[in-house]
Amino acid sequence: MLKKLWAQLLGTRIGRSVFRVGLPASNLQRAQVAISSFLLHMQPAKVHQRTLKFSTTLGLGLITLYLFFILIITGVLLMFYYVPSTDLAYQSMKDLEFVVTAGMVLRNMHRWAAHLMVIFVMLHMCRVFYTGAYKQPREFNWVIGVILFILTLALSFTGYLLPWDQLAFWAITVGSSIAGYAPIVGEKIKFILLGGHTVGQAALLRFYVLHVVLLPGAALVLIGIHLWRVRKDGGLARPGEPAFTQEELPATALPTTKSYGLMELAHGTTPAVGVEPDDEVFTWPNLIFREILVFMLVVVLLLVLAIFWNAPLEEFANPVHPPNPAKAPWYFLGLQELVSYSALWGGVIVPALIVVALVALPYLDRRRAGIGVWFSRERKVALSIFSICLVTMIVLTIIGSVFRGPNWSFQVPWKPNIVAEER
Amino acid sequence: MASSELRKLYPWFIVAGLAVGGLVILAFYKDQFREWKEWQHAYIKQEMARATNEAQRAAAALIPVEIKQIVLPDVGRIDRCTTCHLAVDDASYSGFKQPLAYHPNHAQHPFEKFACTICHQGQGLAATREAAHGHVEHWERPMLPMKYIEASCAKCHLASDISGAPKLAKGRALFDEIGCIGCHKLKGSGGVIGPELDGVGARRSPEWLAKHFRTPAAVTPGSAMPPIKVTDEEIDALTLYMLSLTEERLDAYYTSMQVLPGPEAGQRLFLEKGCIGCHSLGGQGGKVGPALEGLKGRRDATWIAAHFRNPQATTPGTMMPKFDFTEAQIRALTEFLLTKTEPGAVNLLKFPAQMTPIERGKAVFKKYGCAGCHGRDAMSGVPNPNAKTAQQVPGLKFVSEGYNKAELRKRILGGQKEINKLNPKGPQPPLYMPAWGGKISEGELDDLVEYLMSLLPKTEKTDF
Repeated sequence: MLKKLWAQLLGTRIGRSVFRVGLPASNLQRAQVAISSFLLHMQPAKVHQRTLKFSTTLGLGLITLYLFFILIITGVLLMFYYVPSTDLAYQSMKDLEFVVTAGMVLRNMHRWAAHLMVIFVMLHMCRVFYTGAYKQPREFNWVIGVILFILTLALSFTGYLLPWDQLAFWAITVGSSIAGYAPIVGEKIKFILLGGHTVGQAALLRFYVLHVVLLPGAALVLIGIHLWRVRKDGGLARPGEPAFTQEELPATALPTTKSYGLMELAHGTTPAVGVEPDDEVFTWPNLIFREILVFMLVVVLLLVLAIFWNAPLEEFANPVHPPNPAKAPWYFLGLQELVSYSALWGGVIVPALIVVALVALPYLDRRRAGIGVWFSRERKVALSIFSICLVTMIVLTIIGSVFRGPNWSFQVPWKPNIVAEER
Repeated sequence: MASSELRKLYPWFIVAGLAVGGLVILAFYKDQFREWKEWQHAYIKQEMARATNEAQRAAAALIPVEIKQIVLPDVGRIDRCTTCHLAVDDASYSGFKQPLAYHPNHAQHPFEKFACTICHQGQGLAATREAAHGHVEHWERPMLPMKYIEASCAKCHLASDISGAPKLAKGRALFDEIGCIGCHKLKGSGGVIGPELDGVGARRSPEWLAKHFRTPAAVTPGSAMPPIKVTDEEIDALTLYMLSLTEERLDAYYTSMQVLPGPEAGQRLFLEKGCIGCHSLGGQGGKVGPALEGLKGRRDATWIAAHFRNPQATTPGTMMPKFDFTEAQIRALTEFLLTKTEPGAVNLLKFPAQMTPIERGKAVFKKYGCAGCHGRDAMSGVPNPNAKTAQQVPGLKFVSEGYNKAELRKRILGGQKEINKLNPKGPQPPLYMPAWGGKISEGELDDLVEYLMSLLPKTEKTDF
């Protein structure tokens, strides 16, 4: 019945003008749906069977993308209420909580989606590593992914300051002072970031502009390229995919007596061309439906979080009264833990090493073993090194988050060291 | 024509679709039922019930259900308390149960200038009972209990001037009398043994302060402060005075009321401005201007006020200079001159010049908070564990037997940081004699020594 109505709507002149292809009835139309739609053409008309299997990617990249979209939508709505001034920012939070219709749910969704996005970006990176999916020809897409990872952290970090409460103020004060530990340029970087030597009105405005314009704009462009490259690099990595070749046809090899279609001029072959057509299925409806389902589940998860758990908001920011201990946002707590041993190591060397190692990874690890396979036995060394680094970072983060009490002293979470006086 | 595999996902679509729809409805449903709406409906119901004619009923039915707020741009405050407390300015609601009760006595503090949280504290921006009253995590200024409400008066008024805040005045007087200033610094003057008290009202809760006065060590382990032995009522007054020390001062309109027109403020101004240099009261003072005794019989309030505004206007050719008094100050001086200059009342006034050195010395003793450790009237000191002097700060009754004047002066100026221990192996006694050199003036020191030397009762004087 509903389907009939839909088909009728698509049959009208207006319907045809919006959707070029109606509900597809043939394979040709199924291909056309993907090709002729702006939103869907990012994906090929047909994908490999493997792509549909949940265990191939666990949907991690897709979930990250959805979280990003949800963040943009909720973020734009929040911008209608938020004033980036040290006098009014905190009041905006109170207005959202007490006056704005569904304002608290909106802020909660944005907050929880932001934390989830950081987590899912990290999980997505782990998935790509553990399935060896960054190897040729996907090296550069991995590099773009690393940049997107850093952008995600920067987005979360800049957003962290905006409520202008104690939590925001001191997390950013601690976080930005980690940046200040770099020799020679550290103080300069911190100054440029904060627009001064301490967190104040200038810092709030800078973080706001970064958070709502520059960083999301950059992320959007890079996400576009990232997805484009996934398709152009032959879809998802899979075992036994043909090696990437880039034979260039010399210009002299082409007869000059003929005019050419673009297809004939494209050089090289991408792995998807001409192989295994039988293992492929149409993107519509097989992939699209699954993607929509994942989106719905993400929305359900976020709504549950946002309805039942409120985003934190502490006292109005007080520059002369630091909490003890003052902690950076959770994803920097591993570094802050390291800083407590050595500012140079935690603030400069380790973060620099992490970024350099991640960017260099696909160019160092060039063996074509274990592509598209989870925890391939052929990659024991690479897997071990990565896992050890990962576990170390997780352990440091957990120590920094829950095992550190006043004055950064060691404590067990169920028996905190209290020095905070009763008021 | 979907594959059978895809069909297996259909139940998931239905479940997820219902979940999304249900959760969105739940979110908006929760949003629609806000606490304050119930109170507004209760108010409208009340108004409907009171309506005596059709027109009133129609007006009551039209009362909108909406957030209400009072915006105070001068002080950057927005108070939404009236969202629930809808009848604060409607006297016909007096005696009603909260939140629909009338707020009496607000004629001098109109809501549009003061709203609610300036006096009551709490979280003006909030619109739920718990959060608005401020008894929630991460809100530092919950509502002041009513017994401490006078603490807020000090945000605009001088604590000593307010006849409407007797508890605050009492707390302040007690603070001076007990000699807290001997150990604690306040507004730049005072001792160094205890912490400074500026802003203490913003740092501490009423419960903490009251507990602290009774047994300081219970809330501050190792505190040198002796328990304050006063009545519960006096503890409340002291707590209230501490709560008034917030360093929060309101600008513009609000400071204009710093000096409240009243005879007490007038008396203080009279002394401060040195009026006694030209005029005399009770036979004391200058002879340049007319004596002020019995002024009430000679002049009325209008004349006196006009005289302060411009002396030449009322008395051409007078030598009296024009002081730049505010209107409030003029009113205060006028009230003082009309009430305290009666022939019988002038004796209440005592000017330093009229006092004996011993009387002045007693005032110095009070000013520097010596009583805080040596006891009121200097007779017996407070506990000082492990001090050789019977584990107490010594009383000063017999000071003239142990010191001559020069020695005593040296002792006051130099202090004694190391107090002799009772048990040499025990801990250092927490209280010690601070050095007052550089703080006390030469004249004050002379008077103080005179006072201390006078403490020994004549009958007990022994000659060796």
